[in-house]
Amino acid sequence: MLISRRIHQTTSDRIWSWAFILPVVAVLMIAAFIPLGYGLVLSFYKYKLTIATSRPAFIGLQNYINMFKDEIFIKSLSNNILFALMSVSIELFVGVMVAMMLSDDNRMGRLLTTFLMVPMIIAPVASGTLWRMMMDRTYGVVNYLLSFIGIPPVSWIGDYRIALYTIVFVDCWQFIPFVALLVLSSIKSIPNSFLDAARVDGASPWKVFTKVVLPITSPVIIIVAMIRFIDAFKIFDVVFVMTQGGPGNATEMLPTYIYRQGIKFLDVGYSSATAILFILAMSLIAWVFIRLRNLQLRRLG
Amino acid sequence: MRAGSRRGSQSYLSNFIGLPTRIVILLILFIGILFPFYWMITNAFKLEQDYYSSPPVMFPTRITGQNFVDIVTKYEVFKGLANSIMIASGATVFTVLFGSMAAYSLINGALPRRLKGVFGSWFLVQKMYPAIVVAVPVFYIIRSLRLMDNVLSLILMNTSFNLPLVILLMIGFYQEAPFEVEEQSMLDGCTLPQRYLYVTTPMVKSGLIATGMLTFVYSWNEFLYAVILTVNKSKPLTVLIAGFITDKALIWGPMAAMGCVVVFPVLIIMWLMQRDFISGISAGALKG
Repeated sequence: MLISRRIHQTTSDRIWSWAFILPVVAVLMIAAFIPLGYGLVLSFYKYKLTIATSRPAFIGLQNYINMFKDEIFIKSLSNNILFALMSVSIELFVGVMVAMMLSDDNRMGRLLTTFLMVPMIIAPVASGTLWRMMMDRTYGVVNYLLSFIGIPPVSWIGDYRIALYTIVFVDCWQFIPFVALLVLSSIKSIPNSFLDAARVDGASPWKVFTKVVLPITSPVIIIVAMIRFIDAFKIFDVVFVMTQGGPGNATEMLPTYIYRQGIKFLDVGYSSATAILFILAMSLIAWVFIRLRNLQLRRLG
Repeated sequence: MRAGSRRGSQSYLSNFIGLPTRIVILLILFIGILFPFYWMITNAFKLEQDYYSSPPVMFPTRITGQNFVDIVTKYEVFKGLANSIMIASGATVFTVLFGSMAAYSLINGALPRRLKGVFGSWFLVQKMYPAIVVAVPVFYIIRSLRLMDNVLSLILMNTSFNLPLVILLMIGFYQEAPFEVEEQSMLDGCTLPQRYLYVTTPMVKSGLIATGMLTFVYSWNEFLYAVILTVNKSKPLTVLIAGFITDKALIWGPMAAMGCVVVFPVLIIMWLMQRDFISGISAGALKG
């Protein structure tokens, strides 16, 4: 196919082909590569804009070293890891269950699938505000509904022991549907003969789930887990509108921390160093997940 | 085998934890998804005494349009709406134009084959690195270019975020388009831009629209760069609604009304594009 697409090439075609990818390269340069390079350079400098006359001073790896002495950084890192582990495992577990429950092809299932898309496509800011309103301690409807089953009012946002779980909950509300939809489309692609065969052999539905469906969909589940895990380290909007990282630093995450350091406190050098370390960690995580998926694919043949 | 056998096996599967449990769980799920929207819509029409009452008013008996009047007169909803529309449609136009040009060139153009691999791996990289990591440098670059508080800077950023997905999806569409027509027009002496514009792209128009809608929604919802790069006159809706919580006391009526303005355009687009949305999102997630 590709060979046949190349037989009539002319010089003008060749020039135009390059011209056609030029705009993309330009946008990328301005919005991604130059800032990334600039950030890398800045991460080796002491550069604070709080003092108007401040000049960048080269300090080598000092920013990177300071990071590990910075209690708030460590706190936001541990918060973020905890948040990622909790939200991803809940989303995967519930998402796979929901996908299974919706896997028959009837009208009800299709209607539910449509509704499932709603939380994941509305602006995270909007869902954050919505839940902030509903989870208010005094006027919120959540506490009111819980009072019917005898649960006393909970300070979802204001209690430092609970706030992180509140963020986990809102994240799950938005992204369980995402997991469910992707796993569902993978379940639907399983050939019927597999399921029929298992059924004729007298396997219970639970057996079919664990022995047929789960192994076949596992590569997709691993990829979805990777996407959600990486996305969990991008969380910003919901934290920003619900808790602003508080109370104390109880819900401070890496993105909100970088934002605070770089944009609010204007500590450019330090926040760039945090960002660079962040990219390295993300690449490592993605590498691990992709290895995992390839292993699984090889095992399945 | 028979058409009915699919249904048989599948519902056998979907009842794997028993039918009653299944119904209960799905019902909870359904209510859990829809209740927040019910709450948003009713609050948007509630009187102040009602949205500020404890216990909350579950079923409002009196309604008012005052909250919508307020967001127009006091909270500049039209300015935010205009900015959001400008940012999202600007980003959509540039992303679809640049993205389809690049995808066309990668598939039908005379570029070294290696380049496709380069674009593929770039897509993976961009999916991985969080937008926040370039936020600080971008903030200073935009500031020194005097583009702060300008919709242009947000159009640029949203274009760059959405390009990888659009290129990836468009490559798929161009690959499926029949090549014979393209070949014929090549022999007729059409130049590459002519073939792109008049021959092949019209064949993938539906793909173009689907990816455009996806870009529009993502840019409409974008918040991080909107809050960093705007000060006052170019704030989009997402920044305005966040402002209700960070700057003002909890005035829930107008806030819920603003929420409706943020959410409903997206829901309408979703309703129009259901199938393309699922396939677009899942292709974006699973490919590469």
